[in-house]
Amino acid sequence: MANLAPVVMDNGTGWTKLGFAGNDEPSFVFPTAIATRETRSANLASKRGCEDLDFFIGDEAIENSKTYALNYPIRHGQIENWDYMERFWEQSIFKYLRCEPEDHPFLLTEPPLNPPENREMTAEIMFESFNVKGLYIAVQAVLALAASWTSNKVSEQTLTGTVIDSGDGVTHVIPVAEGYVIGSSIKSIPIAGRDITNFVQQLLRDRGETSIPPADSLRVAELIKEQYSYVCPDIVKEFQKYDQDGEKYFKRYDGVDSVTGRTYKVDVGYERFLAPEVFFNPEIYSSDYLTPLPEVVDTVIQTSPIDTRRGLYKNIVLSGGSTMFKNFDRRLQGDISKMVNERVRRSEELSGGKMKAKPLEVNVISHKKQRHAVWFGGSLLASTPDFGRYCHSKAEYEEYGPSICRHNRVFGSVM
Amino acid sequence: MLKVLTLLFVYSEKPEKVMMDVVDFDGVSYRISTPSSKTQIQLSLKWACWPELVQFGAEDMLKREYAEYYGGPTEDGFDVTLHFDLEKLPEDKEALVKKVSLLKRNIFAAPFERAFTEQEQLEDDKVTSKPIPELMSVHYRDDEAIHIKASQDRVTVIFETTFKEEADRVYGKLFLTEFMEARRRIQSAPPVHYSGREPPLEIRHIQGLKDSGTVGYVTFILFPRHTRGEIREETISRIQIFRDYLHYHIKCSKAYLHSRMRARVAEFLKVLNRAKPENQTGERKLARH
Repeated sequence: MANLAPVVMDNGTGWTKLGFAGNDEPSFVFPTAIATRETRSANLASKRGCEDLDFFIGDEAIENSKTYALNYPIRHGQIENWDYMERFWEQSIFKYLRCEPEDHPFLLTEPPLNPPENREMTAEIMFESFNVKGLYIAVQAVLALAASWTSNKVSEQTLTGTVIDSGDGVTHVIPVAEGYVIGSSIKSIPIAGRDITNFVQQLLRDRGETSIPPADSLRVAELIKEQYSYVCPDIVKEFQKYDQDGEKYFKRYDGVDSVTGRTYKVDVGYERFLAPEVFFNPEIYSSDYLTPLPEVVDTVIQTSPIDTRRGLYKNIVLSGGSTMFKNFDRRLQGDISKMVNERVRRSEELSGGKMKAKPLEVNVISHKKQRHAVWFGGSLLASTPDFGRYCHSKAEYEEYGPSICRHNRVFGSVM
Repeated sequence: MLKVLTLLFVYSEKPEKVMMDVVDFDGVSYRISTPSSKTQIQLSLKWACWPELVQFGAEDMLKREYAEYYGGPTEDGFDVTLHFDLEKLPEDKEALVKKVSLLKRNIFAAPFERAFTEQEQLEDDKVTSKPIPELMSVHYRDDEAIHIKASQDRVTVIFETTFKEEADRVYGKLFLTEFMEARRRIQSAPPVHYSGREPPLEIRHIQGLKDSGTVGYVTFILFPRHTRGEIREETISRIQIFRDYLHYHIKCSKAYLHSRMRARVAEFLKVLNRAKPENQTGERKLARH
């Protein structure tokens, strides 16, 4: 019993990924939601019975949202409500993972630029309430980089690279050099999975697909996005292809009305390639945000320290569900290369042909574990034999207090 | 005890290669894998107290519950292995998944079942050859054990509980005392005794009991009305997860206390903020005039 598998928990804004280290996939993936009874009066002390045990998390929370108050304890990647989060962890450990927290080391994840106070608070809860055996808090972007080591495109295992993490709520572009997040250059894009779904829904509505029941419309849009969408190399040519040879490209989606049980058919057309196009040409979806993703990535790398830039271009790693579109990597790589080569050419011109730059390598890496890349990276890290040494143990916590979590032993620095 | 390993639903999906390690309470670990071909799934279980459980009839239990799957070669490093062929599964896959997920519960049920049967025979006057009830101890965790003993009119289940944490011990003690109190209100509940330090009479003769302040003993006395008929399975399931139930509630009450502390701190901060002198704004006003 001495060496039980470490538990890897990745609490994201939208979804929580839970599982044990050494596995390829998380055992549980459910929404980071908690449903509580809101009958309690303002005064906490007036507790009768055990209403504090009366709550649901995950999918059950959503099912019970009619009679319970639904809460999302994590906002923009950061924990907002510690009371709910503590209870969320309670059930994730005991009810879902079914393990005794005292026997397992834990690996938790945090977003880049998480304030150290949050990390301390997490450590406090983990050690004080759950008595965990060991705790390691890792930065999500670094784990995503580690997860990319499984891809066969990666020749060396480095912790330098640019991570494009696109989940449900927000997309981040994060440069990481030797395991350190370059905080000043992080950029986020307010376009992510949910916006693409909305865009597909809007396209369907505008075309007059009246057969979709209004109640299911969002779900249908989501399914169409996940099943049929892909990234095209050239949007104009793609339109032509569809117009000339429609039969070959148009797809049909068969759905069942969740209320009446009738079946219906929906034509899937341009949205197949238009949906992911939102990343590359945001103006087709929103009027406020107009910078395409490749340009953002380029700016991020250009604002990073100059000696890391080659490494950052060479290793652009995708993570999160919204980067799963087919050919997403190829298009991104093409667009960034174009931009970079243009710049190199211009600087060569300016120098009057005297300077020849070494060509820059741009590589976008896509791999099989992309959807749960952060979790998978955590699982990889936690299954290494050294993991035990990197963990902060309960005894150390008691000796030094929660501030030990400001120190990361893998990189040997104070974060 | 309902444990549905979501992964076991692989059965209903297309066959794929799986290699997965999962754990359960009390240091049980499972491995689900497809070693030879994609349709052959094997599920292995490892548990430190397996040799003890075998003595109390765990193997018979396995044969009864998983006859068609149990019996193949055991995977290296594990104690029990079940083999499944995806092409030869029964129609009702849901039921099978549920049954398989209860593997640990069923194994652990063996000593309980034996004790209950022994007790039945002891009580029954017609049975002439009375079994001599033996004390069955299962060290289901490194430092904790459960002792089960049948006697003529009851079955005694004794839990050894250890708490690593000082605070946990206090909570635990409160909870356990509360258990004894609960009997006054609910008449049909089994009597529960709790004693810190002092081991109960039934197990006092066992060697190697730790005598330290951290150990407590919880005794459940199960009468025939708890162990007969349909209720029996229910009782076994419930009593097995007693320790986890206790620990879950200790953690929950800590969380509750923490949330109250946080609320109180927020309140105090409000009071402090209100008490801040407002000189600065006054001075600025003067400067402006």
